[in-house]
Amino acid sequence: MDIAFRSPKPAAVEVRDLHVRLGGNPVLRGVNLRIEAGRMVALIGPNGSGKTTLLRCLLGLQKPDSGSVRLLQEGPPDPALLRRMGYVPQRLQLDPSFMLTVREFLAIRRPLTAGWFWRPSRQIDALLHEAVGEMDVTRLLDRPVAGLSGGQLQRVLICSSLLNEPELLLLDEPTAGVDTPGEADFYELIAEVHRRRGLTVVLVSHDLSMVYRHASRVYALNGVICCEGAPEEVMNAESLRQAYGIHFTPYQHHHSHSHGSHGH
Amino acid sequence: MDIEPFMLRAVLTALFLGPLCGFIGVFVTARRMSFFSDTVAHAALAGVALGFWLGLPDPTIPMILFSLIIAGLILWLKERTALLNDTIMALLLSGSVALGMVILSLLKGYRGELDRYLFGDILSVGWGDAALALVVLITVGSVLFWKLNALALLTAHSDLAHVSGISVRWLNYGFVALLTVTVALSIRLLGIILVTSLVVIPPAAARNLARSLRQQILLSLLLGLVGAGGGVVLSYPLNLPSGPCITLTLVGLFVVSLIGGRLQRAHQNAS
Repeated sequence: MDIAFRSPKPAAVEVRDLHVRLGGNPVLRGVNLRIEAGRMVALIGPNGSGKTTLLRCLLGLQKPDSGSVRLLQEGPPDPALLRRMGYVPQRLQLDPSFMLTVREFLAIRRPLTAGWFWRPSRQIDALLHEAVGEMDVTRLLDRPVAGLSGGQLQRVLICSSLLNEPELLLLDEPTAGVDTPGEADFYELIAEVHRRRGLTVVLVSHDLSMVYRHASRVYALNGVICCEGAPEEVMNAESLRQAYGIHFTPYQHHHSHSHGSHGH
Repeated sequence: MDIEPFMLRAVLTALFLGPLCGFIGVFVTARRMSFFSDTVAHAALAGVALGFWLGLPDPTIPMILFSLIIAGLILWLKERTALLNDTIMALLLSGSVALGMVILSLLKGYRGELDRYLFGDILSVGWGDAALALVVLITVGSVLFWKLNALALLTAHSDLAHVSGISVRWLNYGFVALLTVTVALSIRLLGIILVTSLVVIPPAAARNLARSLRQQILLSLLLGLVGAGGGVVLSYPLNLPSGPCITLTLVGLFVVSLIGGRLQRAHQNAS
């Protein structure tokens, strides 16, 4: 008998019946989610749909009222599991009075370079060489992090999150402070990292056109997962109406023009 | 040259606390906690008054304890209520000062003591204070260096710090406790009103010249050392309270750093 068994890929993220109330208001009302390992997926939804709350649950920053989160087939987020994950926030809370340079920011994130304060810059650069080259941030190393543009900062944040070789990368509205041409470059970069490293990427985004181009699967959230599937399935008007509560025709970003290197 | 013992005690205390305030101040200014530092300093007044009321010869311990209680209350109210930070701190600052003033006004003969604690007095620094300052320099300084990466990451982004396995809550509590002890102890030299200047001005001046966090920390340590030491040395011949002398020395250093920073940038742009 010649039967090929195709077992489903293991799940990098499994969320079951997740409920969260914030200030008495139900924000997540029974979210069920399964993200296969090695995929690049997008979590979309309007403001207040619970995207950030769900992300905070995945990162162990928000305790759910009920339901479960299982990451990398192990269990709920704990310090050991978090070390196998990367997180890219929207922006940093850095005050311009804090002179942390890109080199120092990258060094404090990696155990190998933890003693950066006492080491010469050349030694730190040698230890960071690979990740810094991959993300093309070499010429930013001496710049203060607080003075970077939105696009430059996102590159540095991804570079720092890749330092510890994560298996799962979570990005929260990563292009919030980036100009439109910079956004396209940014998503190309993430897609390239995904292809090269084969890690699972979860993009939390409101940017439907970019999601359409790069994600292999899209989850639309509005308190619950109201639809999921391939981008072309989810991006039809009816699905989006369920998620956003309005009639919506997705704009598709056409690439008949070339993008410059804005925001780098 | 003979040096008076009281002067030696005061200079040593300044040389111990100046760099420590400069170091911790880098994180205080970056985390916008200057008002917090000011609040715990003012809370010390009630601690001093309680010390006198209890008949203690040296109110250092109740001063530090009361400041720690107020620091804890700020964190507790921040976590448990919807009140804004500024509101919480203004409430506790004015409440502590009022409590201290009421207790002191009930006691007789403490008017002179009040001035010493408000503006700083090198004559009030004992060998015990100098020894305590050295112990605090070694312990707080070591902890700050040990937790440097975690503190820098917490300053950059608290969620990122959490995801990196740092216990954000305990690091916050620990930092606040270290800051409170450092500030309360520095009151002997600078006084309640001006003590925050030693925490805020050195890192601000260092920022004008530094091009990295490492440089900012090292320069801030140095400026704290020069400002505190120089201010104490100046206060004796000028017969002035040490607090205003230290603060004016620090302001002078800040102006020099501002001009130096501008010249440095102009030179870079020209070359």
